[in-house]
Amino acid sequence: MRDNVTAAPVVDRLALAMRASHVLVAIFVVAGLVFATVGVAMKDTFFLRLATEALIFAGLALSVDILLGYSGLLSLGQALYFGLGAYVAAVVLKEIPSFWVAMGAALVASLVVSILAGLIANRVRGVYFALVTFGLAQVAAKAVYNTRALGASDGMIGVPIVPIDLGVATVMSNSPAGFFLFTLAFIVVLYAISAYLLDTPFGRVLLAIRANERRVPSLGYSTRNARLAAYVLAAVVAALSGALYPMLRGFVSPELLFFTTSGNAVITVVTGGVGTLAGALYGSVILTVLKSVIGSMTEHHLIVIGLLFMVTVIFLPKGLMGFIRPSIERLIGGGSR
Amino acid sequence: MTAVLEVHDLSVAFGGIRAVDGVSFAAERNAITTIIGPNGAGKSTLFNLVSGLIPPDGGRVVLDGVDRTGEPPHLMQRAGLGRSFQITNLFFELTVFENLRLAAQRLENPMRFLLPVGRSDCALTRVDELIARFSLAEKTSELAGALSHGEQRRLEIAVALAAQPSVLLLDEPTQGMSHADTADTSKLIRGLAKDVTILLIEHDIGVVMDISDRIVVMHQGKKLAEGAPSTVRNDPAVKAAYFGHA
Repeated sequence: MRDNVTAAPVVDRLALAMRASHVLVAIFVVAGLVFATVGVAMKDTFFLRLATEALIFAGLALSVDILLGYSGLLSLGQALYFGLGAYVAAVVLKEIPSFWVAMGAALVASLVVSILAGLIANRVRGVYFALVTFGLAQVAAKAVYNTRALGASDGMIGVPIVPIDLGVATVMSNSPAGFFLFTLAFIVVLYAISAYLLDTPFGRVLLAIRANERRVPSLGYSTRNARLAAYVLAAVVAALSGALYPMLRGFVSPELLFFTTSGNAVITVVTGGVGTLAGALYGSVILTVLKSVIGSMTEHHLIVIGLLFMVTVIFLPKGLMGFIRPSIERLIGGGSR
Repeated sequence: MTAVLEVHDLSVAFGGIRAVDGVSFAAERNAITTIIGPNGAGKSTLFNLVSGLIPPDGGRVVLDGVDRTGEPPHLMQRAGLGRSFQITNLFFELTVFENLRLAAQRLENPMRFLLPVGRSDCALTRVDELIARFSLAEKTSELAGALSHGEQRRLEIAVALAAQPSVLLLDEPTQGMSHADTADTSKLIRGLAKDVTILLIEHDIGVVMDISDRIVVMHQGKKLAEGAPSTVRNDPAVKAAYFGHA
């Protein structure tokens, strides 16, 4: 082993970890397809729609992980972008019932808002960043809560069912299995784009910022630009996921912007595994299922969620995927280390 | 000889204390210019001014003939200035290989910044060169935080050198090293001067006299003396300030 050190190819630990995440997401997709098949066979609606909701919130968790897991930025206000996407899509769909117009509007709105908010939030670090993101989301939530045109505290109902024209096929947003499969594909695309970008030199600069931000400028990289880019990317992922919410449920409410939504996303990522991306997907399914199952037994389900969170943090500090992923790495890494 | 880096009348004060006070000197191409002086003389502050970490109150920093005074660190680096730090400043949770690639990927065409890291050929070639030159081949997959102190100091220099700067600022590269490591490192630095202009802060007076082409002596923020090692060694003012007796 030692005599051929010069010729030995260096195993790229980070690229290997990312490939392991791909494997975990592939397993997730297979499980999703099996679930959809069973759901269709049993003529189920409830569980398919619940699972679709889990996937939509997985997109929000993915956006939290881009910031927390890859740039070391804890955002306590990602609901701002999730809610923004949801409200923009709802408003657009009520006027023009076109899926692509709604998604385009959510994309543009999140770009504009996140660049402006990012310039503010990225002036500070650490706890202060968490507080500023929290504050920005609260301001937006209260503004929506008090705006009659947006339905104020009641939210907006009556978002129409939309056809999603994919060229080869058209999926109706009220088809339980169809919309579930579409959402699964959509979230996997968001995952793939995020994973791709985080495995580039740009992504490595983000990791460097997480590891030792003060050293990064002396390597020739602007930390301000990199942090802003990560913030905008995360915002777009959250907003595009949020835009699917009114299509699934037919309404939007200010709760989507509240701290509970942001906080749940952080819990999802920590439970699933910070810095794995795949953990956001698994974590969201776990949390949604638990909330639904325990919630059907007792209205105090938040106690159980809280306990579960604490147990995870103490016994699985790297989260579920952080615990499982190293085994996958050994499996696909060809015995390196 | 041409000056690659010129510093003119550079000054900065922190709350009334003039940490660097009207310092001027020039670093000649492919030479080693060493800054010496007692603790608190303003050496590291001078480095921070030159590399853009602290904006100066007055004076100018000229790199390759262009006035770069007050530019932020990442632009100074892009203008050709690499630096290491007095206190080891690496990415401890990344491997040796990742530390080097991170620094070397600056050489890559900006268009490749959004292509997968595996396709950064320029950076990877450069990393291989550095690993060979700094004898880190057996450590590539180890976390930077798990290296010995001497290895970390060596990696610190390699990281600063990765993007092929025209001027390399080394802040006490042999700090805390064993005697043998110090000798190896000073030989290594001497070798680097073939390709790069070096500005060095060093406390080990043996190393200083051995490898410097020119020495700048600082005392209480001011430049006390400047010249070839033999000249500086015999300067009475330097003896008084630096060695404690005339």
